[in-house]
Amino acid sequence: MKKRLLSEMPKELNDKLSDSKLNYGKVLVYAQADMNEACDFCDSVLILCEDCLIFGKSTKTNNGHKSGKMLWNISFEDFTFDKYDLSVLSSPAVDLLVVGGIFRVNVESKEKVLCTFTNSCKGRVNKLCGILKDLLDNKEIIEERLSEEEHEEFCPKCGTPYPDRNRKVCPQCMDKRKIFFRLGSFFTPFKKELIIICIICILGSLMSSVWPLLNGTYLYDGVLAKNNTILPFSAFNVEDFFLLLLFLALAMAGTKLLQQVFGIIQGRLVAKIVPSVVNTLKKKVFSSIQRLSVSFFTDKQTGGLMSRITQDATQVSDIFIDGIPFILPNLFTIIFSCYFMFKTNWLLALTAIITLPPALIISVKLEPILWHYNSRQFQTSRNFRSKLNDNISGARVIRAFGKEDSESARLKAGSEYIADAQTDTMKFDLKFTLLYQITNTLSSLFTWVIGALFVLAIFKPQLSYGNLITFTGYVSLLSGPADFFSYIFRWWSSSMNSAQRIFEILDAHSDLQEVVTPIVLDDVKGKIELKNVTFGYEENRDVLKDITLSVKQGKMLGIVGKSGAGKTTLVNLITRLYDPNSGNIYLDGVNLRDLTFEQIRKNVALVSQETYIFKGTIFENIAYANPSASKSEIINASISASAHDFICKLPDGYDTLVGSGGRSLSGGEKQRVSIARAILANPKILILDEATAAVDTETERNIQNSLSQLIKNRTTISIAHRLSTLRDADELIVIEDGKITEQGTHSELVSKKGAYYKLLQIQSKALAMRGIGD
Amino acid sequence: MSEDILKHEEEKLEELLKINYLTPNNSVFRKTEGGFSALTFNGTDYGHVNLIRAFPFSAPDEFISVRKIDGKNEEIGIIEKLNIFDKDTVELINKQLEIRYFMPEIIKIISIKEEYGHAYWTVLTNKGTCNFTSAAGSSGAVIQLDKRVIIKDSSENRYEIKDISLLSQKELKKLELYL
Repeated sequence: MKKRLLSEMPKELNDKLSDSKLNYGKVLVYAQADMNEACDFCDSVLILCEDCLIFGKSTKTNNGHKSGKMLWNISFEDFTFDKYDLSVLSSPAVDLLVVGGIFRVNVESKEKVLCTFTNSCKGRVNKLCGILKDLLDNKEIIEERLSEEEHEEFCPKCGTPYPDRNRKVCPQCMDKRKIFFRLGSFFTPFKKELIIICIICILGSLMSSVWPLLNGTYLYDGVLAKNNTILPFSAFNVEDFFLLLLFLALAMAGTKLLQQVFGIIQGRLVAKIVPSVVNTLKKKVFSSIQRLSVSFFTDKQTGGLMSRITQDATQVSDIFIDGIPFILPNLFTIIFSCYFMFKTNWLLALTAIITLPPALIISVKLEPILWHYNSRQFQTSRNFRSKLNDNISGARVIRAFGKEDSESARLKAGSEYIADAQTDTMKFDLKFTLLYQITNTLSSLFTWVIGALFVLAIFKPQLSYGNLITFTGYVSLLSGPADFFSYIFRWWSSSMNSAQRIFEILDAHSDLQEVVTPIVLDDVKGKIELKNVTFGYEENRDVLKDITLSVKQGKMLGIVGKSGAGKTTLVNLITRLYDPNSGNIYLDGVNLRDLTFEQIRKNVALVSQETYIFKGTIFENIAYANPSASKSEIINASISASAHDFICKLPDGYDTLVGSGGRSLSGGEKQRVSIARAILANPKILILDEATAAVDTETERNIQNSLSQLIKNRTTISIAHRLSTLRDADELIVIEDGKITEQGTHSELVSKKGAYYKLLQIQSKALAMRGIGD
Repeated sequence: MSEDILKHEEEKLEELLKINYLTPNNSVFRKTEGGFSALTFNGTDYGHVNLIRAFPFSAPDEFISVRKIDGKNEEIGIIEKLNIFDKDTVELINKQLEIRYFMPEIIKIISIKEEYGHAYWTVLTNKGTCNFTSAAGSSGAVIQLDKRVIIKDSSENRYEIKDISLLSQKELKKLELYL
């Protein structure tokens, strides 16, 4: 990925700044803002240098707000600059608002708002504020922080903003041809079939092109008018016109029959190709998804992930099957029809062609709207389904609160919405169909009328009756291809857009990369160290701040802290679901970044509060980490996890199907299954993240016992709300607001009478009140 | 010792569980140098405070949560009805709320162009002409509350139509498909 320095300023700004005769050190970060303190749109810039902060502001406000490239293309002509030495600045802050935020800083201890900004400018200003904060705290600024991945918010080519900021793809400028050919590669195994489809399509269009000729000129002018010369090959000089009529009838029937046969062959081939290609695409997307890091899933774009796997693949293959093969035949039909029409009577041909566009315009203009209505109808019924689903799965709550009536009112309203949407759609559909058909009928009527005038020889040259029939047959044949070409481009773009989305997943790089030459630990001991680890999911919002700790091999570390203090984040870092923003984590003295994922996963097992049970048998669920485990190993693990008893009591024992659709297990049972899973994995390092939070006290005791089996000879990191769980810990840390505030053994912390002691008192009192105290 | 802690915690808990209503009798708001509101409540000076609407859509002038600006943004109290305060205070608070809930108001819809599943809007607002892009078809981009409509663009910036019935037929037609 290309990196860009945060100090890179537009040339105009650089020039203007040099003209201003300000003295300033090396520029570190530059950020643009788009509003003034009164929330009027106004261009301004913040420039953070080694020794000062420069704030530049346009003297005029903007009338309106642009998006994309336009937003960043400002002239800096009328900018004035204010310089603030770092020595006079203190407590810079970005107040995030509902939209955008405020950047404020104390200048000589007086609060000052420099600018406000919309979300369009948020990222950079936030970054600048974070670095300014560290500069004022005299913290070292790592080089890495002063650059960012090249990510534009608008297409560099045409300047329109990216519709989806997480996808840096401009639908207008993406290289559709490249995508198309890449897609084509999925069809290469079916080259032969595709060629056959193309041939069949051409033959089919040939058949349909011949039809008007048979049905018009040959029938009326040839056979019925008993004019042998008009027929092809002069109909082998047969004079018996009844026989000729029979031939013609057979030829006509044959044409229709062949068309049907071609249709069947094509349908079969399509049925063979489409599912296979869609399947390949889906499989590829699926395996790519598994490769990606957790942050990919927490990004906003995952909402569409499901639809990408299912819909995009289908949409993409559709165009290859229903679109591309028909291009040639449609073209062929157009050429053939036009050839005949112009050959017969160019004047009439021109009039006929002139009447085509109105219907085309109607379909091009109105079809998208119809489509929109349809999608709205679809949306309302989807909403209704989810409402209904809520209602049925929440039946207990509804009864308990006596809300049956209001619920059915809610459903009724939803149902009415659907009805309205359906009515709207139908109304529009009718309007559209009517308009389209009237236009079509009128134009063909027009052709008929003009044609009739030719037949009656009012217009010259005279036209035979059969030729008129054939002629109008071709006119109506033309409307199909014309329609086809009017929407194939739109179809093509949207399919390529779908394809692009699929390829994006296929090409996505995981944020976490394995090093090229990983270090291989032959025998993992299980010593964990964290050195000055700082991490935040978002810039300028650190969840963990400067954490340093170490856990010796085979020891247990207990982590205590309120929810939101950063405990689970710590676990995410140790399991390398994320990399720290600064600082490092070491396993047996080796940086986690230098190990393979496989080594980390094999040696670190996690039992968390969110137990996940896969669809499958209990046996399979326990054997998840080690599918080759024997039955006796599984039973051993379940006994250690006190899961064996409850599993045996199930009618189907270890073969009980669980997960969606299967038998549902209680929270405690799930917990025990996941503990058994961890025992079987036999890791050197075990992480218990609120492992017993979801269960009752008695089960907790059982699980505690099984856990004490599990943590023997393992390095354990245990997070718990209930301090009683952590009694066996060799060392305890208390985390508050992302920082370690207390550290020591249980007795040390008790004698310290700090936060830990306070929590302990509260909990023992609370437990005593429930009659289950120590 | 342990009794003290427990008692203290219980008091704290009780304190936490009750709503502190801010009234002109117990609170004084003043303007900070940066133009924000600062609060003195029951004799304690909290300095610059955060103001949050509990019901930004249904009751923008009621139940305004006043919170500390730093740390965990703890709530100091709630203003049940803004209009019980004097004019200057209301103005000060409204000014800050306006910035927090910044939303240009759409006066006229100039065009909505849809392409590849995204809508490109051009609208005239009280802050001038704005161009933005929203994801079409996805729910959540357009929120409709009776007569009000709020549109979120792809950067989560917001735009507001105060009263949809004031739009012209032509504009309504353009908008209709997104409601």
